[in-house]
Amino acid sequence: MKDFDLRAAINAISDVTQNRPQPLREFDQIYMKVADMVLQADFIARRFDGLDVVFIGDGDSIALSAYHLKTSNVIDYGPNSILVLDFDERIVKSIIRFAEKYGFADKVSSQLYNVADPLPSDLMHTRDAFYTNPPWGASNDGESVIAFMERGIEAVKEKSIGMLVIADAPDIPWTQSVLLDSQRIANDHGFLVAEMLPEQHFYHLDDAPDLKSCSCLFRRITPKIWNTESRKLDQVRFENFYGNNNPLKVRYVREQLTLNYGRAEEHTYRLESWGGKNGD
Amino acid sequence: MAIELTKGMGLLFMKVGVHARENLEDIIKRKQQEYDKAGMIFWGYGGNTCHPSKHVQPFVREFKKQGKEVMLVMQEINSNHFAEPKAAEEYSEDGINWQVVPKGIEVLGSRYALVLDRLELEGFDIGLQDMSVAIGPSRGRIASDYIQGHVDKGCFEFDPGSPPLKQNDVKHISLYARLKEPYAVHLK
Repeated sequence: MKDFDLRAAINAISDVTQNRPQPLREFDQIYMKVADMVLQADFIARRFDGLDVVFIGDGDSIALSAYHLKTSNVIDYGPNSILVLDFDERIVKSIIRFAEKYGFADKVSSQLYNVADPLPSDLMHTRDAFYTNPPWGASNDGESVIAFMERGIEAVKEKSIGMLVIADAPDIPWTQSVLLDSQRIANDHGFLVAEMLPEQHFYHLDDAPDLKSCSCLFRRITPKIWNTESRKLDQVRFENFYGNNNPLKVRYVREQLTLNYGRAEEHTYRLESWGGKNGD
Repeated sequence: MAIELTKGMGLLFMKVGVHARENLEDIIKRKQQEYDKAGMIFWGYGGNTCHPSKHVQPFVREFKKQGKEVMLVMQEINSNHFAEPKAAEEYSEDGINWQVVPKGIEVLGSRYALVLDRLELEGFDIGLQDMSVAIGPSRGRIASDYIQGHVDKGCFEFDPGSPPLKQNDVKHISLYARLKEPYAVHLK
């Protein structure tokens, strides 16, 4: 599968990871390990070649990774345009800053959005493909996965594809149950599983370091369900979003302004001079 | 023993580090003074395997809702744990709304704290093969497989009766405690 310069690819992904904000564990921002990011970025660049793609959440920065591999001339394929929707303003702004810095802000953009809200009407059925690597739903029977998927489905055109990245471990029952439910939802909306790469990616996940995710590529055959209007997540799903009686409390993560983007925060260190006239 | 371990109850397993400067009795004495002053004890800890609002709070709430007891059980280990001496100034149940740490409570170098009402010094053995992860991505995994490497704590369901899977599966518990609402908090 890999037919690119590995060093150039890893260095390009290094540009991206350097740009990411620190993950917030409470919102399941758990980052994919770098080697797997390289392979995943290449994979989606191939599958989304020439397409207009929407990412429903993207803490990993796979969107930037795929596009940056292309603009760094590591690969010669990739999406035509990318829109990343995320509820974390730190992620949104880091994507915008990166796209401006590397000169592709006309092709890669990002905006603040929480999946519990209706999808903005100007985004309904406008993209060729969606990608989501949502909270995996270990404690909520996949509720979070379904919510993210449904927003992706709302954002794509009739003839479209979508990629879902979620936990996949045959010996951990909840992962298989969530995977089954998500495929059922996709099928309800007229998608079939076009491709499935099982147990692909490792994460910086403290309590399950061996747990991997799969890439499941859906292709729509017929739009069995076609919403012309997006609705807010209903109250029951909202209340149980993070598990039984564990509701969504935070609408947005807001960025604190700093002059030190990508640099060490000043409150984490202090400088101590040599002191004395001769530095002794 | 005063604690009765029953099938289906929740156990929050953690290690407690003691060293030459402060033994377990001293730690308990100091912490019990916190309770006398503030009506609760903050037991500081770190890592992400027992995140206050992702793991501990929903774990305890769910078990209590089912009428099951939840207990903190601690294994004593020798430790040269490197803890920054910075004391927490504020605490939060949800990471959004913050309050000043109650007078009399001191937690050093910890991002999170369990909220306890009483510490009991008592020794008994517990088998890791008799516990399974109760919440999070490793839910259902046997503690014997889960507690390894850098993973040294977790929220478990007690299900006794299995023989030890590994030689070091039996852990000696030296200390246990009951958790008090809100069970675990963020610190800063």
